Formats: sequence, C-alpha cells, structure tokens
Amino acid sequence: MTLLKRSNSASDLYVCKVLYRRDRLYSRRTKKPLTIVLGREARMESPLIPQEIREKTKYCFECGVCTASCPMAELLSPQYNPRSVLQQILEDPDRALKSEGLWLCAWCYKCYKRCPQGLKLPEILHTAKQEVAKRGFDASFEKAVSIIEKHIPFPILCWYTCFHPERTGIPNDKIVAMKEKLAGRPKKGKKPTNRQGRAAIIGSGPAGLTAACQLAERGYPVTLFEALPKIGGMLRKSMPAYRLPRKELDNEIQLLKDLGVEIRTSTEVGKDIKFDELWRCGYKVVFVAVGAHTSLKLGIEGEDLDGVIDALNFLWTAKESAKVDITERVGVIGGGNVAIDAARTALRHKAKEVVILYRRSLNEMTANPWEIGEAEKEGVRIEFQVAPKKILKKDGKVAGLECFRVELGELDETGRKRPVPIEGSEFSLQLGTVIVAIGERTETSFLPNEVERDRSNRILVNPVTMETSMTRVFAGGDAVTGPASVIEAILAGKRAAGFMEKYLNETGEREDAHLAS
Amino acid sequence: MPILPADPEITEEARIGVYVCHCGLNIAGTVNCEEVAEFAATLPHVVVAKDHRYTCSDQGQELIKNDIKNSDLNRIVVASCSPRLHELTFRKTCEEAGLNKYLFEMANIREHCSWVHHHDKEAATEKAKDLVRAAVAKATLLESEIETVVPINRKALVIGGGVAGIQAALDLADTGYKVFVVEKQPSIGGRMAQIDKTFPTMDCSICILAPKMSDVGHHPNIELYTNSEVQEVKGYIGNFTVKVLKKPRYITDECSACNDCSEACPIAAPNEFDVGLATRKAIFTPFAQAVPSTYIIDRDLCLNEEGIMTCDKCIEACERQAIDFDMKPETIELQVGTIVVATGAEVSDPTRFTNYGYTRYPNVITSLEFERLINAGGPSSGNLVRPSDMKIPKTVAFIQCVGSRSKKGNPYCSNVCCMNTVKDSLLIKEHWPDVKIYVFYLDMRAFGKGFEDLYRRAKEAGVMFIRGLPAEVVEDPKTHNLWVIGENTLQKEIYKINLDLVILSVGIEPCKDSDAIQRLFTLSRTSDGFFMEAHPKLKPVDAPTGGVFLAGCAESPKDIKDSVTQASAAAARAGILMAQGKVTVEAITPKPILENCRICGMCAQVCPYNAIVVDKEAKSVQVIDAACAGCGTCGAECQFEALHMRHFTDNQIRSQIDALTEEDADTKIIAFCCNWCAYAGADFAGVSRIQYPPNVRIIRTMCSGRVSSTFIEHAFARGAGAVLVAGCHPGDCHYIDANYQTQRRVERLWKKMARLDVDTDRLQLLWASAAEGERIATKIREMQSVLAKLKPEGVEKATKAFEGR
Repeated sequence: MTLLKRSNSASDLYVCKVLYRRDRLYSRRTKKPLTIVLGREARMESPLIPQEIREKTKYCFECGVCTASCPMAELLSPQYNPRSVLQQILEDPDRALKSEGLWLCAWCYKCYKRCPQGLKLPEILHTAKQEVAKRGFDASFEKAVSIIEKHIPFPILCWYTCFHPERTGIPNDKIVAMKEKLAGRPKKGKKPTNRQGRAAIIGSGPAGLTAACQLAERGYPVTLFEALPKIGGMLRKSMPAYRLPRKELDNEIQLLKDLGVEIRTSTEVGKDIKFDELWRCGYKVVFVAVGAHTSLKLGIEGEDLDGVIDALNFLWTAKESAKVDITERVGVIGGGNVAIDAARTALRHKAKEVVILYRRSLNEMTANPWEIGEAEKEGVRIEFQVAPKKILKKDGKVAGLECFRVELGELDETGRKRPVPIEGSEFSLQLGTVIVAIGERTETSFLPNEVERDRSNRILVNPVTMETSMTRVFAGGDAVTGPASVIEAILAGKRAAGFMEKYLNETGEREDAHLAS
Repeated sequence: MPILPADPEITEEARIGVYVCHCGLNIAGTVNCEEVAEFAATLPHVVVAKDHRYTCSDQGQELIKNDIKNSDLNRIVVASCSPRLHELTFRKTCEEAGLNKYLFEMANIREHCSWVHHHDKEAATEKAKDLVRAAVAKATLLESEIETVVPINRKALVIGGGVAGIQAALDLADTGYKVFVVEKQPSIGGRMAQIDKTFPTMDCSICILAPKMSDVGHHPNIELYTNSEVQEVKGYIGNFTVKVLKKPRYITDECSACNDCSEACPIAAPNEFDVGLATRKAIFTPFAQAVPSTYIIDRDLCLNEEGIMTCDKCIEACERQAIDFDMKPETIELQVGTIVVATGAEVSDPTRFTNYGYTRYPNVITSLEFERLINAGGPSSGNLVRPSDMKIPKTVAFIQCVGSRSKKGNPYCSNVCCMNTVKDSLLIKEHWPDVKIYVFYLDMRAFGKGFEDLYRRAKEAGVMFIRGLPAEVVEDPKTHNLWVIGENTLQKEIYKINLDLVILSVGIEPCKDSDAIQRLFTLSRTSDGFFMEAHPKLKPVDAPTGGVFLAGCAESPKDIKDSVTQASAAAARAGILMAQGKVTVEAITPKPILENCRICGMCAQVCPYNAIVVDKEAKSVQVIDAACAGCGTCGAECQFEALHMRHFTDNQIRSQIDALTEEDADTKIIAFCCNWCAYAGADFAGVSRIQYPPNVRIIRTMCSGRVSSTFIEHAFARGAGAVLVAGCHPGDCHYIDANYQTQRRVERLWKKMARLDVDTDRLQLLWASAAEGERIATKIREMQSVLAKLKPEGVEKATKAFEGR
C-alpha cells in the first residue's frame, strides 16, 4: 500500500504524512511527535511547558466556572481571565509564558473548589511561572506587578498573603526591586471629607480595611470599629510574622490613618456599643466584616481538656506574647494554611515534635504547596488520611490522641474525596498538646434579626451589591463566605464600598430633595 | 508427580493450520505478521502457516476451508482479534469445512498485543509469536466435542414497566409469547408518565403513553406484577426460574378506583409522582392514568400497624369493601426462557453541588420538578410558579450539565438534558411569551432527527443561549430572586444576571438498585454504572449473560425514541431465541474420570450451581450438564485430576504455560484472566489503546475459579517471572461466587510461597471488571517492579520449590 504522493510533500510536516497515535501526531519520517497548531502551522512539540501540565489542561472544557469564581478576574476585569490563560498554555505555550496573566493568580483555590474537572489551576500556573523564571522572561512579571499596583488595594499585603512571586524562582534582586516599587508607590494623602453620610465599618480585616480605604478615598467620613486592641483582623491575628512582616502591615495601616479614617480599637460592636446605637450615632450605612473567629469543634471526647487549643488563639498568643502554653509533643489537626502555620509556629516555640493529622491526602490539601514543603523540611511530620477519634486523658490533661485511618471515597461537594473510616485501624499518638485547625465559623449574634443568616451563621447578602436583607447594612469577608482568602475579602470590601457609595448618594439626594421642598 | 490422565481419544496426529491476520493495519501496523507466520510454520504439528489481510472476510474464511480440505488439516489456529469477537465466526468456518468446531483455537494478537504495544514493534512481534505458540500447543491437545441441546421455554420476563419495558412486553406479547412484566412501583409508566411533553415533536407524553400502558394491562399474553420485585434468578439461557416477591396492595380486585377512600384518609405525605411538589394520602393511586387502575396503601404511612387497627376511615368509606389489611406478601415462581432488563434510571440529585443552592434556595428547581409544574395535570395545574411566592416568573434560567460531564458528578454526557431544556424553554414561551429565558450551556448537543429544528425554534422564540456554566447561584435575601454568576466564555465577560427562577437541568444516573439487579443476573456494568452490552456495536442489546437482554436507560441514558427502539430490538432478539425453541450449550462442562476419583466430594462442595452429584456410597460422580455453566472451579479444586474440563483441560492449560515459558520465562508475566471480566477488560484496554508493557502473556479461562494452584506452581516451576490471576470483582462473578475459591487458592499459595521463601509479590491477584482496562494496564505496569528486583537465584529457588507441579 502506498500513500498518496503530493507534488509539494517535501515538507515532513504535511498533515497527510503523519501517523495518528492516540492523542499525538507523529512524523512519519522522523518518528518524532508533532504539534499541529490551529490546523495550519506545524512544529515540534513545545518543550516550554512541562508535559504533565499540558496533560492536565487538556481536560478543560472551558465552562468558565474558574473565571467567574476568580476574585482577581473581577478585580482586574477585563484584564485577567484564568480560563484563557489556561487555554493559552495548551494552544500557544510561547505566548502563555510571556503573558502577565500567569502572575495574577492569588492562590485562593476558589476555582479548584468549583472546577467540574477538578483542575488545580493555581498549581498549574505555578509550574508555568517556575518555567518562566527559569527562562528569565520576567518582563511579564514586571507588567503584572504594575497591574497589581494599580488595581489591587493593599498590594503589598497581597504580595505576602496572596501572590507569593518569590516562590517561583524569580531572582531575588528582582523581587526586592519590585517590592520596593510597590512600597514606594505614590500614596494618597488625607482627602477632605466632603461627602455626606457617615459609614461605620465593623471589623478591620482585609474586607473592612478595603471598604474603609475606598470610602475614605472618595471623601466619606468613615469609622472603623475593631474589637481587638490593634487593627488588621485575621492578618494580624493569625498570620505568622515569618509570612507577613509586621512592619509591612503597620505601614499599610498607616496609609489608612493618613486618609483620615477614624479608628476605634478595643470596641466590640454588640458589647461596647450596641448595633442599634450606630444609627443614633449618625451612621447612615454599616459594613459588617467581622470575619470568622470561632474555631470549629472536633466534636470528640476530651475536647475540653487542658492542652487542647484552637489554632487561631494559639497563633495570636504566639505573636503577642513570646510565651505559649504548649508541650514538646504537639499534634495539629487540619490541612489548610492555618494548620501549617500553627505547626511551624509551634516548632518556633517549645515544641520538639510536631505532627499534622489530615484526613485527606496531599492532593486535597489547600495549603500552599511550598508551605507544606517547608514545614516538612523544618521537621513537621504530616500524617495523611487520619482522623481523630478521641483525646486521651491523664491527670486531667491531654496525654495523647486516638486516631483511625480513613480511605478516600467518592467526591464530596467541595470536589474532594470524602474520607471513610477504615474499621479496626485505630492507633494512638502520645501528645501533650492538640491544636485544632479545622476551620472557623462566624459570630454574628450582635446583629439584629432583620439581617438574615444561614444555618452556619454566615450572613446572607446580595452577591452583587453585598447588601444584606436589612437596608443600609452591607456585609462581606469571612462573615459572608466562611473562612476564605485575603483576596476574596478585599474583593468583597471593594464591591461593598461601591454600592455603599451608591446608596449614600441616592439617600443624600433624597434628603436634599426633602430639605429643598 | 501426580500421574496425568491421558487425554482420551487423541488418536489421529494433529495437523494444524495457522492463520495470522493483518486486520488491515490494526495488527500489521505493529506486529510483523509475515514473521509470525514464518515462525508458526516451524512449530510442531503445523502443516500450513499463512498470513492474510482480513482472515474474517469471506476470502479469508474460504482460504481456511480450502486448506482444511486440501491439506487435510484437523486443527485450526487463527491469530487475530479477541475470541470474544470472532471465535464464533471461525468456529462456523470450521464446521462448514467439516471440522468439529472445538478443534479451533484463537490467539488474540490484536486487543492483547498490537493495540496495546504501539510503540514497541519488536516486542509486540515476539509476543505475537509466543501467543501463537501457546495457541498451537493448546490446539494440538484439542478434542472434538458434541454440544448439548437445551430447550427454550417460550415465555419471557420483562423487568421494569417504563416505556422500554412496556414496548418490549407488547412486542413480545404481540408475537405470541407469554410475557410477565415485573414493576417495582404501584403503576407502570415510569419516567415518561411524569414528563409533560416529549421532544422534538412536542407530543403530550402521557397522551401517547397511556394507551400503551392500558394495552399492557389488557393484553391476553401479558401478566402484570406491579408493586413487585425480582428476588432470585436461577438457571440459564432458555430455562430461568425467577422468584418474584409480590408485595400486598391491601386492596382487592373489587376496587373501582372511585377515590372515596383517599378522601377519607387522614394521612398525607409528599407525592413521589409529583417529585414531592404535591401531597398524596396513605391510601392512594399514583396518578390518574395508572395501570393497574387501582389503589394501594402505603403501610409505612398508614396508622394501622401489623395486627393493630387504629383507623378504619378508608374501610368505612369503601362501598365495595375492597380494602383488606390482611393481605400478605406472596412469592411467585416464574419459569421463563428469556429476560429483558428495562429497569430504567434515576435523575441525579443536585444537592451536592452546593454552589447552585438546590434545597437551600426555594426558587432553584430541577428539570423533573419543572415537568410536573408545567404539566396541566400537575400540582400547579400547568402554571409555572416559583415556589417562594407562587407567582409566574418573568425571567427563567436553565443551567445545563448539572451532574454531568464533570469529575464531581458523573463523567458522562446524560444525552437528553440539552434537548429537554430546549423543549422546556419552548413550552414556557408557548404559555408565557414574555418570559425571558436564559440557557447556560457548555455545549448544546442537538444531534438527533428533528433536534436541530427544535433548537432553531427556541432561538427563533428568543431564548438566550449563553455559553459558560454559572460558577454560583446566590439568592438575594430580600427578594428571593437569584443571582446567577458565571462567565460568558464567548464574550469573555462575567455575567451577573438576576432571575426569578433557576431550573437545574439534571443528568441521568443508574438506578440505586442496579447493584442488586447486576448480582441477580450476573451482568456487568461500565465505570459509569450502566449495564454493559455484550458487544458495543454488534450486540448492543444483548447482556453478557445468555438469554438476558437490555433495554432503555438501564443500559445508558437515552431519550424515549431510543428507549422504544432498543426495547423493540431486545424483544426481537429474545423472540429469535424463543422462535428457535432450543439452544446449544457450549461443550465446556466437565467429565468425571472415575479411575482417578477418590469420591472426596470437594468438587461438589465448590460448585456454585450444585451441578455435581457425588454419591459416596455408590461411589459415583455425576455432572448435570444442563445445570453446569462450565466455570471449571471443580476442576481446579480436584486434587486428583479426576475431572476432565472439556476445552479447558489441565493438559491444555499446562501446554499453554509451557509454550509461553519456553523462552526468557523470567522476564514474563503469565496472566490467567477470566473470560467475562478480566479478559474482557484486557480487550477493553486494547480497544481503548491503553498502552502497557509487552511482557505479559494472557491465558483465558472461563472463570478465575478454573485456575488451579498447580497451574500457578507449574508456571513458577517453568521459571515464570511473575503470575497474575485476574477475575471479576467479588460479588460480580459470572458463576455466582466461584471467584471466592480463586481468592482462597491464591491466599493459600501466598502462604506456601512465604514458607518456601519465594517472593510472594511474584503472584498477584486482581479484580477488574470488563470496563476496567486501565486497571489491568496499571497492574501490569506495577508488576514490572517485581520483575526488576527478581534475581536469577530467586527464579531458581521457585523452580526447584515447585518442580514437578
């Protein structure tokens, strides 16, 4: 049998002359794999993007769920679209590696949690970024930094908590230069508060800070209420100093003070000042961004023993006072960034031996991959597919933890495999301290009943305006979403600020009209 | 060394013809077929060895027939595709040339070789040679057999009374066969009865179904058992004995369906037929057109418990005294020749997709709930109202692919949802032209006859089709309207649309009791959970079990037209069997060799079918051919080689092992695969072109239970690097539970190996279904590490330890 001869078949790449093998085209002559791009141009398989990444991206059906879930896509709309970045990696790797889109992922994993195909976008992009760093295409990085500087509130905080460009292998001098560029960005000084309508913002985490900043910049008088003695919310409370230097946080907060925002620390709304009093104090609009601070309980025997602490409190005391009450052998239960933070912080204190117990596998962990790697390097042991059964007691204190092994069953609603206990797999660990980091819920009992909340106490809001079921009350951040990332909180703050302004304008006009008549 | 029984009656000397098929380039593209044929010619007893482009073609078959006559061949070996595909074809060829069909053997060099070793032509060619060598070795020992003829009972059983079951039953009954229909629900009708209109013609669903339902109820050849379940199935093709549990309705035949009882009943509960949107009483009829047209009492709801009467309102209300609380469940035994499985499917539950808020937000409903709302006979009398305030919505959205085409739901496309949505959107437009409709889709699949026209009509009516699935649906706490947020991927824009009602276009899932059905009929299921057909192209309605046929959504998601088509096909296939009135049973049952037998009774103990009768006093062993299915686990259990497993004899299998271990045995994996799951799974790996290392050699047995420990020991004695025994998943065995014997034997051998200090990793056991090609390939890849760490001393040790086995 002979193949059709074409007069111009000199090209080895002519489609007629390639063998089809599963999902790849091979050259008939050289027996090497080919890539046909857009059906016209053919060339050798691009070595730029590692094969494993390309393999994964193939299964994207472009449903757009990632982009629609992505807080960065909304903050930067229409400059950033994770779906197209991913597709570009497959279709045109050369361009993809040179695009700034790679650098705009904020590691919130929201896309992964919703992706119907379970693609871990942040990690796919991370590998691509590492490739870029290796090849020195850092122009795209610089471009991304200027986009971040322009459009993202508190860019330097996001640098530390969200973007982590230093983890990609970009040369250090570049990182330092870019960081300085961000720190030295033109600051907005005090704006005259020339607009009508005072805004109260409850909670000074990233959502509250963003909303306060945005409203103050537009000339509204803003008061920020914070229950703790210092502002910063979760950023200050749980983020260890080695991940977010305190100096940087203070610097950014100073900007807020410079804008003229009134800050009332150690003032817990509901306790020091009743929620209803806010209206009497003349606030026209309230933004509730109280976060999620109540640690979830394990619901197992021995949880009230001396020696069981929740991760947030532990991280907070570790930061505030040099002394924490832990023993040499510490177990941390959970698999998120907070668990890793707690484990690493414990090692920086008295702990000699720290073990993290996680009920799923490495693949399902939503902690940043380098955090896991560094924790392991520092000597933290991670036990996968293990769940606690009861906390063992000796002299009224924690003596150990009885656990059982689990196997991973079908996918649950978060797209991760559901752990199923293996019978008879119980074993115990000798521990003096158990740190619980399995998530937090929000505490919103100070709110009036008109503000609707769901079963887990999260505040229900209109997702576009962030308005709650009670007029004049807006909400955002972890209090609405449950524990989530910094960038999601910033987006909520930004969204809310926009619509609070709109609301204030409209009521202002109404009042003006009322007065005029 | 035990004395091997001489294979009886090998009188003539074997004259073997070997035909190596190119299968176009399917085999020849990877395997050097000429070389294989040349090699075959050098094997003992081989008289003719040829390669041919398409051996299964008329020319190819003619060639074989001529050679049988001209060269006086008495054994034929064809090296081509899987015996599961063409063994029948070539057996027929042999018969036509006057050769007994059991003197034919196949070497599978396509599914098990060329398709799975694309990238290593040399190794593939070597493997093909080995497989031919084994086939020739077995062929030398083949014997002629005479098949038993079994009569077929000319009655059929249809399980499931949905549209597929109804169609199959009517077709069979009209042909003149007696049909039993078993339906779990109180009425037949299935899903189709719940739907308002059908696409693409927009016919009223119940209007076209109800006459058929009534036909089933009145057909003289059909016996209908509703509210009944199949409990037990025994027997084999043509002669099934089925036990049906007929649950009591507590209503006698006197019932005139007047509804007086229902009105009197004080207990109400959500109505399953209206997907919980309306209520029914504890005494009820599922829907107006129900067949049989009678009532039923839901005893879980009824206040009257067993023997304690606390409420007699219905009894008082019933003038005809048709209520009888003393009715008991009955077990009915049916004798049937063929079975049609039409158990249907379920709609997938979208609650797990928390981002769409189903059950959290009242105005998010499923497409099935929509069908009941838009149906004039439904709870809202055909008014599409949104549950939160019972008002007609002004803006409606459909979200496609909920639970389909996703790793988090079902990976497959559910086939009907796209067109169902198009139809639904048109229905809304028909009733309320001003309603604004959005359809959020991933791909619109309008592939059938008239489908594209309907899609066009929807576009014409102004339905907005937006490409890009919503990331989330969030309720506005003030208005209970829904914000749908997603990306319009064609516009590269994020949309946030405020809607009154969101309809989740949910997919189709296998029935929850598919597991039970699968066990009852020893069927296979694909990885998606639907029943697997015997061949995806050529036997699309035959189940792998003889005499069982599949119809409707039990086999895969499909629309009404396809279900009806498939049901008619299944009825025709069942009809063919019953028209013939008899079927031959493969001559693979055992024959006792009394001189070796010690009457220990082990064979009878392990037989899953009780087909061996051992009389210790009379010192007799008898095999009941009609009851025996030929799994061979008795033969594997017999220590004294006193059972001659026809067509899979000890000697034949040993000769295959010998042939496969003749060269470089220590680099090879000898795999024993059962015909139904593991061998079929390996075929599936081939069909899917899943690549795996070429050093595995598969030997086919009917069941993994046929694999005697002596075979495995023999392989090790011959120096085989590793042995894999693969069968159906526990509980899925096609011979009831014969694979438990396999597990027991392998475990015992592991212990023995450990005792003899032989690496136990060299013997592996794998359960893999016919759809799990990847699982088999993965196992073979994993086993490479066992071979890699294997040292010559290790091989020698095993050879010595098992010598003489």
